Order: sequence, then structure tokens, then C-alpha cells
Amino acid sequence: MTRAALPRVVVSGLGVVSPYGAGVKSLWTGLSAGACAIRPVTVIETEGLRSRVAAEVPAEALDGLGVSRRRSRADRLALAAAAEALADAGLEGRDRRPAACLVGAVGGGMHEAEAWYWDEVRSGRPAPGRQRALRSVLPRAHADAVAFRFGLEGPRETLVMACASGAASIALGADLIRDGVVDVALAGGVDALTRICFMGFNALKLLAPEPCRPFDRDRRGMSIGEGAAFLVLEDAGRCRARGGRAHAELAGAAMTTDAHHVTAPHPEGEGMIRAMSLALGCARMASGEIGYVNAHGTGTPQNDRIEALALARVFGEGRILVSSTKSLVGHTMAAAGSVEALATILALEHGLVPPTANLTEIDPAVPFDCVPGTARPADLGAALSNSFGFGGQNVSLIFSRLSH
Amino acid sequence: MAPPTPQRSEAPRLSWGAPRPVDSFGDRDVAGSSEPIPPRRRVVITGIGTVNALTSGGASAVAEAIALGRSGIGPLRGFVPEPGMSGLAAEIDDARLAALVDPAEARRLSRICRFTVAACRLAMRDSGVGSGPGLAIVVGSEHGDFRSSEEFAGGYLQRGPAGLSPMIFPNTVMNTMASVAAIAVGARAPSVTLNQPTIVGDLAVARAAAIVARGNAEAAVAGGVDEICALVYRHLRDLGALSPMRGGGPEGCRPYAADHNGPVLGEGATFLVLEGLDAARARGARIVAELVDQAWGNVPVSAHAARPGRPDRGSPVGRLLAAHAVSGFRCVYGAGNGDAGVDDWERGLLARDLGPCDAPPLSLAPLFGQHGGLGALRVAAAALDAARGVSPVLVHGIARGGCRTALIVGSLDPGSRDHE
Repeated sequence: MTRAALPRVVVSGLGVVSPYGAGVKSLWTGLSAGACAIRPVTVIETEGLRSRVAAEVPAEALDGLGVSRRRSRADRLALAAAAEALADAGLEGRDRRPAACLVGAVGGGMHEAEAWYWDEVRSGRPAPGRQRALRSVLPRAHADAVAFRFGLEGPRETLVMACASGAASIALGADLIRDGVVDVALAGGVDALTRICFMGFNALKLLAPEPCRPFDRDRRGMSIGEGAAFLVLEDAGRCRARGGRAHAELAGAAMTTDAHHVTAPHPEGEGMIRAMSLALGCARMASGEIGYVNAHGTGTPQNDRIEALALARVFGEGRILVSSTKSLVGHTMAAAGSVEALATILALEHGLVPPTANLTEIDPAVPFDCVPGTARPADLGAALSNSFGFGGQNVSLIFSRLSH
Repeated sequence: MAPPTPQRSEAPRLSWGAPRPVDSFGDRDVAGSSEPIPPRRRVVITGIGTVNALTSGGASAVAEAIALGRSGIGPLRGFVPEPGMSGLAAEIDDARLAALVDPAEARRLSRICRFTVAACRLAMRDSGVGSGPGLAIVVGSEHGDFRSSEEFAGGYLQRGPAGLSPMIFPNTVMNTMASVAAIAVGARAPSVTLNQPTIVGDLAVARAAAIVARGNAEAAVAGGVDEICALVYRHLRDLGALSPMRGGGPEGCRPYAADHNGPVLGEGATFLVLEGLDAARARGARIVAELVDQAWGNVPVSAHAARPGRPDRGSPVGRLLAAHAVSGFRCVYGAGNGDAGVDDWERGLLARDLGPCDAPPLSLAPLFGQHGGLGALRVAAAALDAARGVSPVLVHGIARGGCRTALIVGSLDPGSRDHE
């Protein structure tokens, strides 16, 4: 099967709510300035935990989303990001009706369900908010809410693939277009900060006490974030025919599994290498055509070392710019793959690579220019975004710049 | 309490009429695309594995359980329900599960992960397919591993940060079942976990078929899994989501019946092995049936509703009928599980797509209870029907919230194929 025989998929809409606030503009302003949004946690209890910092969506931004407070925190993020993406694409009612809706999610409405459940367990008596919390606790709640709110009648999927969920939704959404099932898909991911996630990564000793420092010699772990990001993926022909504006082409995508360990990556990065190589094959690109990699780059000692090893195997040592936007907005879990897809597309559009924050001394095992501290102008034709997750899930997405 | 009456005990002989023309995405315009879409790879079912309330094993175990028509639903054994409330379930005997998973491995796996690993291995053994970078895994679950989530949270609530278990935490993420199963069977192509109510097992099979058909994997092990968890059971009951819901009448699973009053939960895992036809033939695999095509979509209704305010303009059944010249289905399996709203909605949707039929679709919910593996059991049953010449078969699903699936399963024997 050759790429020439398949419909081309473009990204015609972008929407995001990030720790910088609502909107693509605020995301890009923060990323390009290298502003680290990781701060002390305010929305859950952290007493006695190794890490007490995270990248939260600011309360005033959440309140300004225009989404009912009766909805779960995660639903509010998802609905606002989806609304922006659909508006950016210029898709009105009839145009967006056949769209597929793919949402990467993990925590669902757990933020509210935990509050209710913990309150009930601690008090020993029924706590208020039970009905509402239970109805939206599962990950699929977001796709249900988004599809209904925007009248999306195409295939609907909730993908629970740990930290690779958001990227997987984009890869599988593109497949639906390439297979001719739909012409347009809203794909992305969402996660709100939850106690279970924050405490779980603390228990695994994978969280840094201070804001994370990906690729730094002294990195001590990751920082959790929250947010939602959606892309409108569209058949290039349809986008052109309706006069739509495309941000970039989704040139290639691939998903692989390590089948090695539930929480640790394959020590040689075998699955990562395969994902990147397959994505290059899907895009019919040589590795030399990629100028920038938005790395998974969590800041854990193991991930960054193995990802660097895999990158070196695929691209050659030092041949690409590599940065981790998780150092700026934290690891937004199920949303991370889609937030970082947006960051990659914006880097292509602006010709500017967002930096890796908090990187003072590069790990000698990372043979790349990791763009420390300050964004770097770069004339990029194509860029790759990596997302890896528990269960050895690896997703690589390749975006290329369009010549308008 | 009388046991529920199974909907079927012998090979189905329903005949659905010629389909009506239905709306599809008629305004879809791919003329602007750069190139035509290549033909899809034909996908066949070469293995079945199941662990459920009635049985465990491969294709023959599923066939036998369905043929016997005995119900796996009975009074709850795993925990004591409150008096006067729902108290039925289709549970798995832990002794039978213990025989399927090595004790050392079982100690490392949560109960729902043991279901998954056991069923995937049974399916792989039934198929004889190999592992490696060409094997994908797709797991559907309605609720995931809530026992682990409760246990993890309980550790903190009882002992503070010292009570947080790094061993339990990974199980709280819903892809934990796919993760451990991928390791167990050596699946290194895409690993996908889907979350939906009611139809997630058939949705997982449909998604896996699409992955194989487009060449993203050579083969896939796909299906669904859930377990009975006291926390989930009680909360579903409190939400009025289990028989007898909030109405009267005896508790029980009676899909499409006049006195249906809600689903009864089951548990277990069922997985199918899907392969490209050419690859299956090349290795001399026993082919159970062909998964002719699949589609999924949704009727936009609010999250837990079963009463659509808008029509199903993108009916997956309609899309399949538009793509395949099917003169009628010999059998239709439905997602009906006794939830009156969904049962009635499904019958209406099918009547619109296929024409009127007095007989309801066949439901397997009275045998196995509602759980994430049930949709895969429906596809397995359809494949077994097709293997004995009952073909083509439609596997249909609709869930509260509007997610809808349709799969056509047919015999590979050219003499019995009327769907190409």
C-alpha cells in the first residue's frame, strides 16, 4: 500500500485549553516565550507527597471557558478545546455533521468522583454530588459530551491508551479519513488533574519535586499537567473544495507496542524506533527530511535516556532539534499527545522551535541540541511528535508544512 | 427467583427482508482527494477464546454454551447485595479461572487482567496465529479495573501517602488489560483500548478489523472484558441502570420482551483472532468465517439517553448495505440486554434499515450477562453460525449515548456467500 494511493490528511482546525489558559494563541505565546507553567498544586491535596507541583489550568481560565460548571472539570476543558478547533476550521453545523469524534482520555470525570468518594469514605455518610459524579466518571464521558454538543454524527471512539491516548486518537482519526470512512474527524485528548494519577506517579517515584527538567543531567522526574487539545483532521481535497485553510499536513502516523513491561519502556527503545520508522515510511519521508522532534521527553531518567537512544538510531546523533514542551506545560497525560501535536504544528507554521525549560546541563547520553531555555528560529519542512505510554504504547506523528 | 429465559437455543433461522434504501453521508465528496482509496484486505476470523460465567475455552466451548442455551445468571456470589435491590449477576467461578492462569502469574495480575490474559491465550491457541510485530491487540471495556482503583484509593484513605501502592497504580489506567495481554501473547503492533457501554466488545472487533484490513497489522486479537465489582454494581444499581431499574416486575434479563426492565451484569473476557485472508490461507489456518465489513457511528443523543432527538443519518447498517449487495440477513444479533429504552430503540433502528420484522434480533445477554466481552461473543456466535452455512449474519449494537456498531459476518465457502 503506498501513500500515493491514499487521501492526504490535513489539519484544518486547532483548539486547546492548556496551563497557559484557553486558546491556541495563549499556548503559542507561552511556548514561544519558554514560560514554565508548573507551579504548586492548588486543586488536590498533596500533603506528604514527594512532588507538590503541577501545571494546572488557571481557575480564571477555567471559569472563562463558557462551559457550565455543572460539568466535570475534564468535560469543560474538552468542550472548550473542541469548540475552538471546530470554529478554527470554519466547520458549521452541516459541514461538521458527518465528522468522526475520537477522544483520548484516561481520568474521565475522576476529579469530581474522587472528591465525592473520598468525602463519603472519610465522613462515613452519603456525600452530595454522587449522581453527577458517577454519570461522568468514565473516560468515554468526554466523547459523549463533545459529539452531542457539536452534533458530530460520524464514528465515535474513546481511546484509553495512557499517555499516548491523545496522539493515538489523531493517528486513528487519520486512518478513518484515509480509509474513506469519513472526510473529517475531530481528534484529540483531555485530562484533568486527579488525585489517583498524581498520587500514583508519586508512588512510582516518577514525579520531580521541582518543575521537571527533561534531558538535563540532573533530571529527577516528570511534572503532571492538565488540559485538552483537539485537531480537525480533514481530507485535503474536501478542505480545498470548501475553501478551508490548512495548518499542516498529517503526513504520517504509526503506533507500536513494546510488549515488554507495563510501566517501563523497552531498554533498547525497540518499540519507539519502530513507531518512528513506520511513521517515516507512512509519510514516505527520509529521516533527513525531519528537522524537529517534539519529544515525549517526560524528564524521568529512564524515558529520556531511552528516547534519546531511539532518536539517535532513527535520525543519527545530533541531526535534529529536539525539545520537550512538557517542561513548559507539564505532562498533560491523555491530552499530551494532542497538545504536543499542536505545539509541533505551530512550530512548523511559525518557523520557531519551542524550548526545553529548566535544562541547564544536557545529559551526555542525549546527543542532541535540546533547545535549552529559549525558542529557536528554524526553517522546518517537517517535524515529528512522539508520545509513549504505560503498557509500552508508542505513537509517532509526522506533520509537514504546506506551501500555500 | 426464576432464572431468565434465554433468547435462543438452536441455530438461528430468522430471515430479514431486503433492506430499504437509507440515508448515508450522501453529501460526502472525495473527488478532491489526490488518489482513489485502495481496496481493503479481506479479514477472516481464525480463533475464539473466552472466559465467561458459563464456560471457558475456544470456539467449541462458545458453540457448546450457546447451543445448550443455559443461563449463567444467578444470585450474586461475590458480595452480599442490600435487601430489596438488584441481586443477580453472571459471575465466573474463581476456581475455573485459577485453572487457566499460572499461580505465579496470577499473583502479579488483577482479576480482570487474568480474564483478559486467559481469553487472549485461548484465542491464540484456537487460531494458531503467531506473535510479534505484526500482531495487534484491541481491548474494549465498559468499566475497566475499578477494583484496583478502589484498592489504590483505599490505601491512601487508610494510611496516607505510605498506603499508596506503586504495584496497584498501573491497574487504575484502563489500558492495563491490553498491556498485560500484549506482553502475554507478544502483540507488538498497535495496542488499542476502547471505552464504551454495551457495545464495546463488538466495537473493538470492528476497530481491529479496520486495522488489519488497512495493513497496520497482519493479525489482531480483539474483544472485550469486564468484571463484577461491588462498587460499580452498587452505583449502577443506584443510578437505576440495572434490572429492575426503577420499575416493577421481577429482576431478570429479558431483552426485547414486553416486561423487560433492565440489564443484568455479567463478567468475563472474549477475544477473537482476526487475520488477513491471504495470510491465514498461507499458513494453513482454520478459517471460522469472514468478517465481511464493519462500520460504527453514532446517533447524537445526550450521554445516557436512549431516546434520540435527531435521526441516525449516518447509520452504520446503511453504510454497509450501500457497500455490499446483501439481499437479506439470515440472522441478526442485537445488543438488546433488557434495558427497555435501548431494546426498543434498537428494534426501531433495525426496522428502519432492514425493513419490518416481527421477530426481535437474537440477544446473548440472558446467557452471559451484560459486560464488555458480550459484543465479542455476539461476533463469535455469528462466526460460528456462518461456519455452518448460516450466512450472512449481521451483528448490530446500539448503546445509551448513541454509539452504534454493525458488522457483517459471512461464510467463506463461496457457495454460501451472497454478500459480495
